[in-house]
Amino acid sequence: MNKAVDFFLSLKLTVVLLGLSMVLILAGTLAQVDKGIWTVMDQYFRCFIAWIDLYVFFPRSMDIPRVKIPFPGGFLIGTLLVINLRTVHWASFKITVKGGRKAAGLIFLMLGVLVTIGVMFGWGTAPVAATENDAFWRVFLRLGRGTLAAAVLYVACVFLYRQRAGMVLLHSGILFLLIGEFITALLAVEATMTIREGETVNYLDRSQQMELSFTDTSHPDHDTVTVIPQRRLKEGVFLQPEELPFDIKVHRYMVNSNRPQPLQSISEEFRNRYPAYEGFGSRLYVAEQPEVSGTAGARNAPAVDIEVFDRTTGNSLGRYILSLWFYPNFVNRSWDMPTRIQVAGQEYTAYFRFRREYATSRSGNPFSVTLLDFVHERYEGTQVPKNFSSQILLVNEGDNVERELRIWMNNPLRYARRTFYQSGYLPDDSGTILQVVRNDTWMVPYLACMIVFVGMAAQFIQSFGRHLRRDA
Amino acid sequence: MRRTPLIPLATILLAAWFFQIGVKPPKAAPADFQLNAFAQLPVKFGGRKKPVDTLARNLLGVLSGRQSVRTADGETVSAVQWLLDNVSGRHEAFDYQVFRIESLDVLSSLGLEERQRFRYSYREILPGLNKLDAAARAAFGKEDRQRDLYDKQIMKVANKIYLYQNVMASFEDPSSIPPEQLLVAAQRYMRLEKNSIPLVIPPTSKNARWRPLMSTLLASHPAMGDLMHQHAIAVEPLATHMGVMLGAYHAGNPELFNSELKEFGALLQSENPEAFNKGSFEVFYNRLGAFMKSAQLYLLVFVLSCFGWLFRKDGLLAAARTLMICAFIPHTFALIARVFLSGYPPVTNLYSSAIFIGWASVAAGIIIELGFRKRAAGIGNLVGGVAGFTTLLIAHFLAGDGDTLEQMRAVLDTRFWLATHVITITLGYMATFVSGIIGIFYVFGGLFTRRLDAATEDGMFRMMYGATCFALLLSFVGTVLGGLWADDSWGRFWGWDPKENGALLIVLWNAIILHARWGRMVLHRGFAIMAVFGNIVTAWSWFGVNQLSVGLHSYGFTDSASFWLMVFVLSQIAICAAGLVPPRRWKSGCNT
Repeated sequence: MNKAVDFFLSLKLTVVLLGLSMVLILAGTLAQVDKGIWTVMDQYFRCFIAWIDLYVFFPRSMDIPRVKIPFPGGFLIGTLLVINLRTVHWASFKITVKGGRKAAGLIFLMLGVLVTIGVMFGWGTAPVAATENDAFWRVFLRLGRGTLAAAVLYVACVFLYRQRAGMVLLHSGILFLLIGEFITALLAVEATMTIREGETVNYLDRSQQMELSFTDTSHPDHDTVTVIPQRRLKEGVFLQPEELPFDIKVHRYMVNSNRPQPLQSISEEFRNRYPAYEGFGSRLYVAEQPEVSGTAGARNAPAVDIEVFDRTTGNSLGRYILSLWFYPNFVNRSWDMPTRIQVAGQEYTAYFRFRREYATSRSGNPFSVTLLDFVHERYEGTQVPKNFSSQILLVNEGDNVERELRIWMNNPLRYARRTFYQSGYLPDDSGTILQVVRNDTWMVPYLACMIVFVGMAAQFIQSFGRHLRRDA
Repeated sequence: MRRTPLIPLATILLAAWFFQIGVKPPKAAPADFQLNAFAQLPVKFGGRKKPVDTLARNLLGVLSGRQSVRTADGETVSAVQWLLDNVSGRHEAFDYQVFRIESLDVLSSLGLEERQRFRYSYREILPGLNKLDAAARAAFGKEDRQRDLYDKQIMKVANKIYLYQNVMASFEDPSSIPPEQLLVAAQRYMRLEKNSIPLVIPPTSKNARWRPLMSTLLASHPAMGDLMHQHAIAVEPLATHMGVMLGAYHAGNPELFNSELKEFGALLQSENPEAFNKGSFEVFYNRLGAFMKSAQLYLLVFVLSCFGWLFRKDGLLAAARTLMICAFIPHTFALIARVFLSGYPPVTNLYSSAIFIGWASVAAGIIIELGFRKRAAGIGNLVGGVAGFTTLLIAHFLAGDGDTLEQMRAVLDTRFWLATHVITITLGYMATFVSGIIGIFYVFGGLFTRRLDAATEDGMFRMMYGATCFALLLSFVGTVLGGLWADDSWGRFWGWDPKENGALLIVLWNAIILHARWGRMVLHRGFAIMAVFGNIVTAWSWFGVNQLSVGLHSYGFTDSASFWLMVFVLSQIAICAAGLVPPRRWKSGCNT
């Protein structure tokens, strides 16, 4: 037991862990040359054991064996660092003060924690935070709130730890940041919203997850949609959804697929090996592609190869290839290619699409966003973009919200625990693409930044003062 | 020894004389072409209004890597004159050797011989142009992954040629085009206007937009009225004056040129006086060329300080200190001038980051000299001299990409974040470099000389320690501010993006150095070696990360930036290794 404590007490461990994290980060950065950012994150940072590809450290032109080296992953290094930090604090930063001083320190500590929590959950901020003012004030205000919390905590630390106040505070800030990022890694959700001018949209595209959707359009008043989530679309699986009158066999799940090409333009050799599809697959060539790299900024277009069977007879009703390329929001509304499947006289419209989430506010009421106008400014005489902005109408009847707002570069809208950012636009500036992020711990970095800054600055000023006095 | 004010005074006078060289334009006789006045005319190019002087210098810089042209007879031609010769269509303009083509493959495909300095004239390239165009089209058509080295080099050369052609075409005078060919010309001009071309006709009371010369002249072509089914053609007197001006230059008629120039200026002054704003100041800034001159003086500072430090010559050190401050003042002035001209905070791109890092390092050197003179004894000079010189040299090579005062892309256009995050992180780089440079002097001084006595050694360690503390504070706050910018602008505090990772590596490395010191894992010498390694970490996140996304797939170190980065990394590793030589072999002995 003592050995374990000694192990975690050592500053050598800190240095080793920090060194390991440098290697990991370097590898994770170099790996982005050929892999997507999300893959890299899962392979290197958001895991306990990372498998580092040896070749990432060498020029790609060299022929390096495809060896994977096991290495402590981001979560493991993070956890060990936290334990290391806690042990060192517990052992060497004991509260030695007594009496009134201790009481005052504890009171300030409680106060500081209270302020921190208040800032984190945005007590006293507006529910619909449109940012009509400059980034300057907005961020300064947030950093100011962070500084307030940091100052109160610093006072508490001065009472409790005397000269070591800054040291304790700055490490607590780092601990706070690490934990906050850990929670973000687990819980944050990214989505997009694609809206044409004049259109109203009430759902988000969860761009990290896919789903297979079948829409029954036979009823005149409403459509019935059945979705099969990505996790169930495993290769070789036979699905029997209760809501549908047919069964589905998954032949293949492709992480990335090519932009569909006319089948005639493909060489004989590939065409012969290409399955006989119904639907778009009978005319277009869709095949698996290597994953795209993070630095190239491209996106993966997964595809799924399925076969539909009649449930009563068990006969095959045809094999279909469904690619994300057929989904209008993926191609920025350049086209719309619904796959139509006829089963027992009923027509189903199928898409392989981003997971759809219907937009609801904190109270559970649905809301919608209408794009009134989209503006794209360029610098005169160039194609360099100067600004994009979306004039939107936010409607939530249940919560009595109906507001006209503007979202533009660097000026997002915060509503319903989500943040709506201007991220892209449709061809010919006919519509907007908003990035929608839900991250409940988004204030943690603001707080942690100021806590660490106050702690570090106090510590350094103190030690410089000591140096100067010694010199004098 | 009594201090005489003679040496500082002489140093100041020397520096002042050095900086004024070339600032005052050579006086043109009244009968000559008034090139200096022409150089101040406003033009909008790349989204920014600038004087013609800047346009000419940047264009020439992109094509040839220089700001003036040397002709075959050894004469030096200014950028403005070169531009005028070209846009007025003078015959000899095609003979200026300004196209720098270094790739031997491209040269051989153009049928050209390799030559010193790799500069070729348009007339020499002309025969191979069709071939180049075809190769470039093929290369542009490929996806980035499929492009090989040859493709990339062809694209680089073709981009230069296209830029040159577009700029030249935008100054065409269509008045001699016969009416039946007008429609074709109009279509060509419309295509041309989709590219980035210089817009030399400023907004007037009748037209609110900046316009290129050729389209404006075309609109006032007498036959255009019939073509557009309009009754009246739109005559723009500014364009007419400019057209006549260029014609007069072509014909070698200074009198007409000067009078038209005067008319143009007077008309613009009455129509849109704001078009001239900041123009003459920018010409002055261009002519001053403060960064390059400061760089030369910093080199001198470094050399003087080396001798002064090694042989303990206080007089030499004092002179070097004065010289450093003298070079620092114009450096500061030029930095502020850039802020004034662009309206942005000082760091907006790689070029300005180099200038800013240099500036801050010299400032740090001056603070070390003035604040800790007893202990420092010249270390501040050494740091300021070497850092100022190298960063400004790097900036000089980065300037070849065009206008260094470019406009910001939409995502980056927020002065608040540029002023906070970018400045803090750049200061973090600076502090790490300062510590690393002191580390280098520590290793060299200790290993090869007897200069590193106990007091010096202790002083140098303290400076490194202080710089590293600052570096940790600044790079941590800068990195987190960067994350906050990302959060505020697109909702992701941390995305493991290469540039973010680079910044994080600096934070981690500085933290490692300090923890290793606090845990007594290293003493002074180890600290110095670790500080030198910090140079590699910083250089990687400053430049290496950019190389990742540009020259990524080939990785080949043909790109000169990656090559020099590699050289730098290897040199730093060598210094670290030298530092690991056991202290008993150190010339300064075992006091480390």
